[in-house]
Amino acid sequence: MARSGKISAFGRLARFVAAAALCALVAPHAVVPAAAQQVPSFSRECQPGNTATATESPLPNVAAALQRKKGKITILAIGAASTAGMGNVRGGYQAQLQRMLKAAAKGLEVEIVNRGVSGELAEQAAQRLKIQVGLTAPDLVLWQVGTNDALSYIEVERVETAVRETVRWLKEHKVDVVLVGLQYVSGMARDSHYQAIRVALRRIAQEENVIIVRRYEAMELIEKAQRAEPGSAVDEFANSETAYNCMAQYVARAISVTLFGRGLRPPQPAPPQ
Amino acid sequence: MPRQANAVDFWRGFALVTIFINHIPGIFYERLTHRNFSISDSADLFVFLAGWSLRLLAANPGRASPAYLVVRLGGRALTIYIAQIMIIAVAIAMLAAAAVLLQNPLLLEWHNAAAVFHDPVPAHLGLAILTHHLGYFDILPLYVVLMAMAPGIALVDRYAPRLLLPLSLAVYFAALGFHITLPSWPVPGEWFFNPFAWQLVFVLGFVMARADGAGGYVRRRIVWLRIASVPVVIAGALIIWNDWWPDPTKVPQPVLLFIQSKSYATPMRLIQFLALMALFSALYPGIRRAAPWLTEFLSMLGRNSLNVFCVGSLLSLAGQIVRFIYKGGIVVDTAVVAAGIALLALTAWLSEWRDREKSRRLAASPAS
Repeated sequence: MARSGKISAFGRLARFVAAAALCALVAPHAVVPAAAQQVPSFSRECQPGNTATATESPLPNVAAALQRKKGKITILAIGAASTAGMGNVRGGYQAQLQRMLKAAAKGLEVEIVNRGVSGELAEQAAQRLKIQVGLTAPDLVLWQVGTNDALSYIEVERVETAVRETVRWLKEHKVDVVLVGLQYVSGMARDSHYQAIRVALRRIAQEENVIIVRRYEAMELIEKAQRAEPGSAVDEFANSETAYNCMAQYVARAISVTLFGRGLRPPQPAPPQ
Repeated sequence: MPRQANAVDFWRGFALVTIFINHIPGIFYERLTHRNFSISDSADLFVFLAGWSLRLLAANPGRASPAYLVVRLGGRALTIYIAQIMIIAVAIAMLAAAAVLLQNPLLLEWHNAAAVFHDPVPAHLGLAILTHHLGYFDILPLYVVLMAMAPGIALVDRYAPRLLLPLSLAVYFAALGFHITLPSWPVPGEWFFNPFAWQLVFVLGFVMARADGAGGYVRRRIVWLRIASVPVVIAGALIIWNDWWPDPTKVPQPVLLFIQSKSYATPMRLIQFLALMALFSALYPGIRRAAPWLTEFLSMLGRNSLNVFCVGSLLSLAGQIVRFIYKGGIVVDTAVVAAGIALLALTAWLSEWRDREKSRRLAASPAS
């Protein structure tokens, strides 16, 4: 716990700096009144993932769309992420994401177009993604990518090329993108291919300056927090489901921190299970 | 007695084998299937030939009464529905078993199965009403809808044959122009195979199987059509190899008429498919002479296409799980494909053996 506390403090500082910089960048474009903005906090079970779920990068096209379309944004969700949080009492991924983003900025209108096709590899998803951009003209693409490629042991270079090329294509077409990375499963922690894909996605996000929601770190923290509890058993299946349900919150937070990067709440310690 | 090897069964068998391989993403042998040089793939072939076979089903036996036709084709839709329900039940169990045995919850999220495990109440309803599909288990739901349309198609064909293709084209262009499709639920989204678009592929197969009408027209001009098809197929290959796809944000409205989309069987894909068919159909006599065992083998698979398709779908998933366990590689891939094709053949052989036994027993005891 002490260790995750340190990460929290560091994460908070880093995020504050990033957010302050982004505020200056994004705020002048946003039409949403500053007083109404609030970065959503996590629900109890998702809190351990608070510290390291996202890297912040600007979302210039969403910011511009907010101004141009009077507070309305269209989000295209590609990949299995669109199924996440189904069983959650908060009404599923789409509803959750919408509600959290709306809560983050009053008057914000969020349209989410879900076009998840399961099982498809990054290369096929990339093709379909472009078609959907042509059909739905989104301001932001939420792309969960990598898991199927990892499970199918697709060469890392192939995955990296497909994702990077698509991220660049989206930028050229004035569409922002948020990548949702791999998730943490202890069985895959020592799988070099899985880790290579995870690293490749982070590298793309960093080099192309786009947001990546780091599900892996979030889940790793959830599990670490549990292991730190004396006498607690780690149920990986339950954790996986929890983290799955938390995805909407992580994504919503990543977006709202970037867009309205104010009102960051200090991460609270995880409650005992 | 099973019917003689023929071109339709042969290409159906070919489609079944390539679907089995293509549904194991990342496997080495997927580089060898025709989608590497063709915009259309084995799914188009499968649906087209399903339409072709509908002709046989609708024409046989003779001029059945309309009521019988509706019941017979409707019954076929029900059979396919049952097959779909059975294979997804087994597929879900396979994912669950793999997740438990390998202690890896990641496998529960594979192929859209997450909703089934994490939110079973609506997901089970979605499975039953065919609005929740597992990845790569989405062709049979299309087939169910197409067979549900089949009585209508067969009746229009009987009483107003000239109307069939225009009607089908009208539905197709309406679907593409106005973006009409079936929704998926509870996971929001769309069907991967839009039935309103894909019905045209099905109807084209049905129409082309007819010796007169459009089918007869094509047969009479097949040589010219094949010559015209060569540049189309070459252009398709060049588009794939050079990544010359049209930019979906830069084409005119309606977008779907000008881009490549498998979900909507867009014109670009459909035209390439028809050209490929025109050329492929010329190959059969040569293949039959050069490799009679191959035509016999693939025709046997094609004659038992529903059974082979169901087993093939499950074998594809099994192949993916095996590849996951052994981390892929050419040796594993070869073993998966070899074992898979052998089991597909066993499925077809058993189906025919059972039928042979049944007719032999019936012949032996005519009184019972």
